[in-house]
Amino acid sequence: MQDDSEITALLKDYPMPAANAAYFDQALVRATHEGSRRQRNRWVMTGFGSAIAAGLALWLIGGFFLTAPNLPETDTPGVPGITMTLAEPQTVNFVFASNTPLVGATLTIMLPEGVELVGFPGQREISWQTSLTAGRNLLPLRLIALSPMGGEVMATLEHMDRARTFRVRVDVI
Amino acid sequence: MSTSNHPTFEKILRPHMDRLYRLAWRLTGRKAEAEDLFQELLIRAYGKLDDLVNIDAPGSWLSRVMYNLFIDEQRRFARRRMHTVEEGELSGDGLAGLPGADDPARDHEQWQRFERLAAALSQLSDDHRVIVLLHDTEGYKLDEIHVLMDIPVGTVKSRLHRARARLREILDKDGTFFEQGAC
Repeated sequence: MQDDSEITALLKDYPMPAANAAYFDQALVRATHEGSRRQRNRWVMTGFGSAIAAGLALWLIGGFFLTAPNLPETDTPGVPGITMTLAEPQTVNFVFASNTPLVGATLTIMLPEGVELVGFPGQREISWQTSLTAGRNLLPLRLIALSPMGGEVMATLEHMDRARTFRVRVDVI
Repeated sequence: MSTSNHPTFEKILRPHMDRLYRLAWRLTGRKAEAEDLFQELLIRAYGKLDDLVNIDAPGSWLSRVMYNLFIDEQRRFARRRMHTVEEGELSGDGLAGLPGADDPARDHEQWQRFERLAAALSQLSDDHRVIVLLHDTEGYKLDEIHVLMDIPVGTVKSRLHRARARLREILDKDGTFFEQGAC
């Protein structure tokens, strides 16, 4: 190829999905609701900080739930488990199921000593904001065990004033 | 009819939403992340509504806020390496969800070229990828990119040049253009 004309022509036509008007309508509504909530929270937290923070913990209710299918249960009832090989990265798929879309949720992954998220060396707690669609949402986590100790990986999903925590037992061989 | 509960907010935002959504998509390259970024921008904008009503060019301001949100997110969580995806999109490359992607009537050859382009773009640095997509795909002017990314116009030009050169190198190597050339 002699110049950039072919590549700019290809880039010019490079497609992307268009959002429809209904999506924009929903986004506006969510923005005003969530924006108002954050403004209220900012005011409340400024005035009553720690007291309100303690109160929020009492409002952990259902509405979304977490599942991890195809993982066998461990000796601890209700806690699924995986077995990892030392120093070999392995992908664990967490499934977050929700009956409604969750915008602006916070997901926090807590790792036991000796288990790391690939690409995040030395970090035991990683947190970020995300949104979930209604239905099942998959989060692939690429884990690596750097010691034979194992432990529990915990994923906590928080949305507005609700939170749920899911645990996976990791055994290392 | 107003769909949000704040008609002033909607009146300011609505004319810019399509362009902002496209920017979110070009920055992130994935539907779920683009929607997160777009939604977060709207939430932040609502919180700044008192300022927003007095801004002469809200589109530029909103674009700049979105870009900064994107950069903050990249710095904080290296998020592209770990993302929530909808089922069925695990192997998606950003084009899989497009209407007509599986339409046999679509120009298959052109589609393959787009897929190779997507793969090539993913090999660029974020700066290069964003600049080449905004300029060559979305039609942003050099000066608009300079304002958006807060870098000199000369730097925008040189990064654009290098991004195209790198893309050309990758696509020439994988035969994307040679297959189409007149032999």
